[in-house]
Amino acid sequence: MIELPVAVTFDFLTAWDFWIAVGILAGIYGIFALGLQLNVGYTGVLNFGQAGFMAIGAYAAIIFVVDLGWSYWLALPASALLTIIVGLLIGLPSLRLRADYFAIATIAFSEIVRDVAQNARDLTGGNQGTINLELENDRFFTDPWFSTSDWIQENLLDPIGLSGQEFGDLPLFLVVWVTLGLLALGLHFLVRSPWGRVLRAVREDEDAARALGKNAFSYKLQSLAVAAVLGAISGWFLAFNLESVSQVAFEPLYTFLGFGALVLGGLASFGGVLVGSVLLWTLLEGFRFLDLPLAADKVSALRFIIVGVILILLMAFRPQGIFGKREEMVLGE
Amino acid sequence: MNDAAPIFRAERVVKRFGGIRAVNGATMDVREGSITALIGPNGAGKTTFFNVITGFYKPDGGSATFDGKPTLGHPPYAIARLGMVRTFQITKALAAMPVIDNMMLAAPDQPGESLFGTIFRQPANRSREREVRNQAGELLEMFNLQALADSYAGTLSGGQRKLLELARALMTKPRFLLLDEPMAGINPTLGRRLLEHMERLRTEDGVTFLFVEHDMDVVMNHSDRVIVMAEGRVIAEGEPHEVRSNQAVIDAYLGAGLPAEANGDG
Amino acid sequence: MTGAPRTGMASVREWMSENPAWVALIVLALIALALIIGEGLQEFAQRSVNGIVSGSYIALGAIGLTLVYGILKLVNFAQGDMLTFGAYIAFLFDATLDMPLAVALVAGVLATAALGVAQELAMWRPMRAKKAGMLQLLLMALGLAFVLRYVIQFIWGTDPRSLDADVTSSISFLGLNIGETELIVVIISFVVLTAVATMLRVTSLGRQMRALADNFDLAETTGIDTGQVVLKTWLLAGGLAGLAGVLVVAATGSLTPNTGFYLLLPLFAAVVLGGIGNAYGALAGGLVIGLTQEWSTLVVESQWKVAVSFLVLIIVLIVRPQGIFGRERTL
Repeated sequence: MIELPVAVTFDFLTAWDFWIAVGILAGIYGIFALGLQLNVGYTGVLNFGQAGFMAIGAYAAIIFVVDLGWSYWLALPASALLTIIVGLLIGLPSLRLRADYFAIATIAFSEIVRDVAQNARDLTGGNQGTINLELENDRFFTDPWFSTSDWIQENLLDPIGLSGQEFGDLPLFLVVWVTLGLLALGLHFLVRSPWGRVLRAVREDEDAARALGKNAFSYKLQSLAVAAVLGAISGWFLAFNLESVSQVAFEPLYTFLGFGALVLGGLASFGGVLVGSVLLWTLLEGFRFLDLPLAADKVSALRFIIVGVILILLMAFRPQGIFGKREEMVLGE
Repeated sequence: MNDAAPIFRAERVVKRFGGIRAVNGATMDVREGSITALIGPNGAGKTTFFNVITGFYKPDGGSATFDGKPTLGHPPYAIARLGMVRTFQITKALAAMPVIDNMMLAAPDQPGESLFGTIFRQPANRSREREVRNQAGELLEMFNLQALADSYAGTLSGGQRKLLELARALMTKPRFLLLDEPMAGINPTLGRRLLEHMERLRTEDGVTFLFVEHDMDVVMNHSDRVIVMAEGRVIAEGEPHEVRSNQAVIDAYLGAGLPAEANGDG
Repeated sequence: MTGAPRTGMASVREWMSENPAWVALIVLALIALALIIGEGLQEFAQRSVNGIVSGSYIALGAIGLTLVYGILKLVNFAQGDMLTFGAYIAFLFDATLDMPLAVALVAGVLATAALGVAQELAMWRPMRAKKAGMLQLLLMALGLAFVLRYVIQFIWGTDPRSLDADVTSSISFLGLNIGETELIVVIISFVVLTAVATMLRVTSLGRQMRALADNFDLAETTGIDTGQVVLKTWLLAGGLAGLAGVLVVAATGSLTPNTGFYLLLPLFAAVVLGGIGNAYGALAGGLVIGLTQEWSTLVVESQWKVAVSFLVLIIVLIVRPQGIFGRERTL
């Protein structure tokens, strides 16, 4: 009889609140990955800086609410507008570049955003994050949300027996997933529109699109702007989930995970992004239930190693992901 | 047609790569409603010239006008929108998209192509889509490709892709079509069909053609005018028989190797 | 001979586009002059010394990156993490196995060279055979970068490490300071860079490597045994990356799993500045990036050094995308 070095507990099957928490993360990064999907899967724009847009969306929203005292109705659209502007500023000089050059430029952008977040202590709370701002101003970003959340919990969920104790932050889960569903649906129709057709042509062969009178550069810029907004929205939900953010939440790791979700689900399928995100986060968080004889931080690193290996293997053997169509995979030069 | 005004005029166009002037002051007129062939030995700069005047390369000097409007140095999409449309030597069929999408893409003036339009102008968008789809269907029929409308363009044969590229270019309702070696790599029957289409489009719809070509049979027997380039400049221009007996042309080709000739003289 | 008339402005521009190296030198000289006037010769000279130190290991990393470019047809994202890998192997030998630093350095170089070859055989060669597209390759490189980074983190954790190198004693000359270790780093870098530059120029293998890096497909048609040359290129690129990694840590005194990744942008800027696919360009580019990053500390806070690389990169890509020594890309 072989003794496994790993013990598996089966508590996870009934730990609803845990899985709701995982679901929230999957939903947040699903929205994040929708932007990547539009850029990479549909336009051929290799946006490796999506975490930067998420950061700007989150920080801006928090600063507007906590520091300037705005309501969500003003703060959230304002932060979306800000990410669009930044997206355009980044895109204008960089989108004329070859795809891999642009990718590195966006990595640089994302790191610079993190750098600013870390160092502009007065603006962002520095390394510990916006919690400092919230304590200073005695105003918390999530305060207005909590009254809605409580309302949902009391009036919609408790009556049907879904208590907060057992099911965790179900209100947030629902809001995130409804938003995700609507966004995915919207994008689904958008890419089937004439606008989406030009986008796909640009992905396939920019020069062919240009020769037919399409301003490929403008479309890439638009795609980036839309992805920036999606990044911002995911940033808001991250802020709701974590209650405060710091630059650690926007490390390149998360762009990498976004790509993991993308690749798992298939590069040209918005439904696939949702499935990919759920699979990814289930895999990542499911590790907690494996009683590995390793220290916690090593288990953490191991998770990402496994995701990286899966990414490599998928790209090598099934680049279209689980749901993608082989013909739509842009292969070759 | 001999007195037709030039629809396109290029003056002293220059293109440098490093120290080499691939196009060294090329000047030419293309007459409206003509099928004009652009010929010359290898390295004459024909394809480079093509790329410069259609906006795919940045020029280093000179000027060009299409239909009276300046075009040199303008981006390729702007030139295409004026009605000056090119095809590519190695076909650029959008392989991962169905044939019908390839066709519908090319139609101009689609309100649904703007982000705003596709979200907020649905009625206008839908009716134009219908129009475009019908137009695409008609063109596909003309080129005998209608059965392949829903297939991915990547599954088409080389010859079918050439036809698709031409059909797609026609969706833009061009006034001036520039074809980069349209006969390259296709069988003679298909080549003849392409030429028939070109001649019909010229005669019935007044489309002007400029095509780069190496096959002298095609050039001598199917073009209205011939422009000869060598070493980055235009060295001769005129009707096929005039050009064939032009000493400068003969010298240029002898210097670089004789092309396939239709008849023995010249 | 008729042709387009050469006006004054057009001929200046033509000269500029045909002599990019001179233009770059002039621009650098002007910047240097402005800084000397603004901040003083002493300060400027000190930063220049620092710039040569960092420029030398950036150049080492950049050469490997540019050579591999022609093979992969893209920039290898995992390059930064290969630097990190080399440094950690050196750390393993130096701190854990308690070997002399010189042995550790060699170990780091050899291990990374082996990693390069392993990558080629296990990943890139099969993908070339499959004619994989740029997106696939890029995502694989991204995956590899993260696998390397997290394997390192798995084994060694995130606490900063250092090599057993003397980071305190320094040498003074002409009123300028340079750390003893930094000086050794510069010397080693320059020796290796000269050796590599000579090898690339003089030996037939070097010529073949350059041909491959510049235009892989064209080189293949000239009858080069590409399989062999590719392997040797990876060997060299890996070795140089490992060396660069060890030298970075020796010079800066700190090693974390992110060390190499943070250098990726300067490396990339150096490669693009010099002209991608051109090894001499990478060398020149590395030095320029090192210098400009250090010069920038005269006018902005040092945490913005990376932003300087970014700025240089964007400027190059707008003004002359093929870099100083690169060829203009045709359609």
